[in-house]
Amino acid sequence: MIRAKLSFLLLPLMSLLWTPQEKIKVYLVGDSTMADKEVKAYPETGWGMPFSAFFNETVTVDNRAKNGRSTKSFIAEQRWQAVMDQLKEGDYILIQFGHNDEVPTKANYTPEDQFAANLVRFITESRSRKAIPVLITPVARRKFDIEGKIQETHAIYAAILRKVAEEQKTPLIDLDKESQQLLQQFGPEDSKLLFNYLAPGQNPNYPDGRQDDTHFNELGARKMAEIVLADIRALKLGLADRIVISNLKIK
Amino acid sequence: MAENRIITRCITKAKGMAITTMLLSMAFAFPSKKIKVYMVGDSTMCLYPTKQLPINGWGMPFANYFDSTVRIDNRARGGRSTRTFLSEGRWQPIADSLEEGDYVLIQFGHNDESSQPQYADRYTPVPDYKTNLIKFITETRSKKAIPLLITPVSRRNFDRQGNAKETHVEYTKAVFEIAYQYKVPVIDLDKMSRELYQQMGPDRAKWMFMELDSAEHPNYPVGRHDNTHFNEFGARRMAELVINDMKQQHIALAEHIVTGTNKSNVNNAAK
Repeated sequence: MIRAKLSFLLLPLMSLLWTPQEKIKVYLVGDSTMADKEVKAYPETGWGMPFSAFFNETVTVDNRAKNGRSTKSFIAEQRWQAVMDQLKEGDYILIQFGHNDEVPTKANYTPEDQFAANLVRFITESRSRKAIPVLITPVARRKFDIEGKIQETHAIYAAILRKVAEEQKTPLIDLDKESQQLLQQFGPEDSKLLFNYLAPGQNPNYPDGRQDDTHFNELGARKMAEIVLADIRALKLGLADRIVISNLKIK
Repeated sequence: MAENRIITRCITKAKGMAITTMLLSMAFAFPSKKIKVYMVGDSTMCLYPTKQLPINGWGMPFANYFDSTVRIDNRARGGRSTRTFLSEGRWQPIADSLEEGDYVLIQFGHNDESSQPQYADRYTPVPDYKTNLIKFITETRSKKAIPLLITPVSRRNFDRQGNAKETHVEYTKAVFEIAYQYKVPVIDLDKMSRELYQQMGPDRAKWMFMELDSAEHPNYPVGRHDNTHFNEFGARRMAELVINDMKQQHIALAEHIVTGTNKSNVNNAAK
């Protein structure tokens, strides 16, 4: 009798615990620092590439970020609409723009007020589909002063992202600030290990070498993805429950 | 209506078959045989699944730098010595499928040399190691394929004065002896990697290896401190050393290494 009663109480509770997670998508929208790369551009790596390895089988990371895009051109090219057309309840949208929006000489330049308005649009439209938008400040460029102190490279546009996130009560990952801290730890010389720095003749894809203070190599991209992941945990986003649980015993 | 649909489907099917036949006959008319490059070796060279990232064998990035006439087939496996690679039947299928003009890149030593009792299953004394290398070479050549010997990539091991130490002395020497005797090109990855570690120094060289703290990567919840296995960055640096040495030695395969068109200067702003 007692056992029967117990199981009567326990069964619904257990089924709650055992409910399999619904499959979701995590859309990445942003620029070249986040984007998937063509093999001919390797070892340049967007941080969305290593990011996709962090989650269990219920998550599909769909990296829609594209080289050179600002919020303005991402919308104008119907790339935003394409995401909206597929977005489902419970999906996540990680939004990182600024690198191209902030450059007045670029065709894709997005004035400050327009940048803010575009972000608000991304948030509102995501939420209207019961998806979860997350704003990410633009990952820092490698820029040090002569004393070896890291410099702000996105001050105005990162501030706009922070302000919009606060006003719209949207989770914010301050990748600009946190990547600056990481670059400072590495210092002016060693931080080159994180970027696409190649000596002439070192890599077949870059016969004349490369010195790129914006785009990452494999190591830098993974380090940036790890910052984003740590913040997803710290913000206690539901997505954190879907981080892969390793069965690797090896240390 | 239904009849129409069936007819359309039949026509589509017939068209499909016609196209298939055409393509097949074209394939025979214009044989596009790819050069196959088999990679045989150990955990420092092999492929890894996503759940083990960011560990990378150097064979993974290596495959990204060849044109479409080359197919890289990475058969390396973690923990294997020349002896266990053979005894597990991993070599025979390669030997069987080799064709004229294919390559076999051979890098063993890490496990052959592990003489501690717990590795008795893989340990291969130097004389046997040499015999096994000779078998790889002669069976490759009997198929008119081309063997390349690679000395085992160095472990990260510095002395107190900050000098990178040799970590595979006897087995690297054995590779050279066999290479000399059988006139096989050697890619001295042991030496080239050690020179790179030296140039970077003890601390910076760590960034090429599986050095993870516990909170860093979900695949390694207790972290990892490993002076043998590479991360994505280190694996690519090793692949670059092999690629550039192949070019320098004018190994014919190097003609199929891509020549990129990416510029050296980059706009300060993102692309």
